[in-house]
Amino acid sequence: MASQKPLLSRAAKLAAAYALALIATAFFAFPVFWMASSSFKSELDISQYPPVWSFTPTFENYAKLASELDAFDAFVNSAVIVGLATTLAMVCGTMAAYALARFDVRGKEIIAFEVLSIRMLPPIVSVIPMFIIARALGIFDTYWLLAAAYGLAGLPFVVWVMRVFIQDIPQSIEEAAMIDGCSRFQTFWRVTLPLLLPGLAATMVIVFMFAWNEFLLASMLTSQNAKTLPVIAANAIKPKAIAWGLASAAGVVMSLPVVVLVLMMQRYLVRGLTLGAVKG
Amino acid sequence: MARSDTKTADKAQRPGEGRIAMLLLAPTMIVMTVVGLYPLLHSLYISLTNYNPTFGGGSSLVWFENYARAFSDPQFWNAVGLTLIFTAISVTASLVLAVALSVLFNQRHPGFVVLRTIILVPMLITPIAVGITWRVMMMPDLGVLNYLLGLIGIPPQLWASNASTALLSVILVDIWQWTPFMFLIVFAGISSLPKSPFEAAAIDGASPMRAFFSITLPMLKPVIVIATLLRIVDAFRTYDTVYIITRGGPDFSTDLVSVYLQRVNFRFFDLGYGSALSWLTLVIVLLVVLIFVRLTGFMKLVADKENR
Repeated sequence: MASQKPLLSRAAKLAAAYALALIATAFFAFPVFWMASSSFKSELDISQYPPVWSFTPTFENYAKLASELDAFDAFVNSAVIVGLATTLAMVCGTMAAYALARFDVRGKEIIAFEVLSIRMLPPIVSVIPMFIIARALGIFDTYWLLAAAYGLAGLPFVVWVMRVFIQDIPQSIEEAAMIDGCSRFQTFWRVTLPLLLPGLAATMVIVFMFAWNEFLLASMLTSQNAKTLPVIAANAIKPKAIAWGLASAAGVVMSLPVVVLVLMMQRYLVRGLTLGAVKG
Repeated sequence: MARSDTKTADKAQRPGEGRIAMLLLAPTMIVMTVVGLYPLLHSLYISLTNYNPTFGGGSSLVWFENYARAFSDPQFWNAVGLTLIFTAISVTASLVLAVALSVLFNQRHPGFVVLRTIILVPMLITPIAVGITWRVMMMPDLGVLNYLLGLIGIPPQLWASNASTALLSVILVDIWQWTPFMFLIVFAGISSLPKSPFEAAAIDGASPMRAFFSITLPMLKPVIVIATLLRIVDAFRTYDTVYIITRGGPDFSTDLVSVYLQRVNFRFFDLGYGSALSWLTLVIVLLVVLIFVRLTGFMKLVADKENR
């Protein structure tokens, strides 16, 4: 008899924990579910009130994405721009991070500070000069301009985070390889790089995510040829005739690559997102 | 000199490798100077001129006229005030929620891992898509939110279409979108806390509440401070969701700094004035960060980490 009460209260606590967890999950998941389900609704179903929960799914919104919004071109633009930017940031950034982590560089603290303050810079500050310079150079509305802008935005982040990841690898491992006759480059290529791969992948995914989702610079530095996915999705919203199904479909197409990639790299995400300050 | 000698020792830099270091750093320095520093200085220069491409593109130096104009621009200070309120409420609420969620999910019952992963998804959704989705859901006449409220007996709301609730509505969206980010970080912090202080407290008869406020929170402080700082900086530049949901309206009730700046720059093409405003914004962000860093002893936390 004596053990019954604690058992009951433990069961109640467990039930409360599950209830709270489910409510929280519902709050965060519902809008995502609503976006996905709206994207499969016909124009008639989407303007029903009360909202319809069961309906015949249709792919007409996705078909319209390609025919009305040029989503395919925008997808290619996004992929090329983000690909170029991520490559630029990762290659330059990892080289610099290695130098900062392993060599005695003069003015290192200043470089590190400069790197961090670019992370703090609101993009709205640099958008005007970029706009003016791009016009003057004739690179407005090209891949190169946005790729350079995103590469720059990602670069300080890569330097900062990769420095932490490189510092995590014991110096003695590299020394052992070099005593065995490897050059500095061979050591990096054969010993350090394989150990760095998880960190590199996590950092790359975060840089990819920020560039892929970016809208402010993309909307102001493009007009016709280099429009990215967020820009065409925003174009689906016009003051009068708003195509909600179409816009939702654009949202799904945009978000899916990031969700899949990042959830794959979940384990290393915390380290990267906190600039290496918190271990996941 | 002695200090730098000890540093050299643990870097294991070999003689003649100084040049390699410079070579490795060069691309980053070049990119940062050409694409980062130069536009910044250029923007400082533009802020001292009356440059406006719609008037033929000529410009002349007006020195600090733009800055003087900014100080007596009620629209700008309205935007700054709204942004501060937006940032304060959104960051505080998402921090409290994130800590609560982390404590809850740290109980690690079966199935919690899956729920935890689902909760992360909002931070990965493209902000433009977040704006679209919430705008659909918040439609006063057709939106699903009013329908759901009706089910539990709450009268329909105007959400973002009413000047008195619009700011709270976009704050709600921001909390929804970024609590997962805080949660991810705080949860990582909570799950790496050592077990022994909690066992000791349990033996001494401390209640779970007491253990939370006396052990968990103080030990989590570094993690919370870092997550909050990153969040403040990002909340201050919020643009995408507000642009989609309200465009600063109704009646300028959600006219955040970035939305107002976008209007000055790319609707009126008042680029000289716009540059001055962005520099003022930059200074305000730095001030906020500085105050935060002072209040929380952030630098000391970082220094402790470096010396561990």
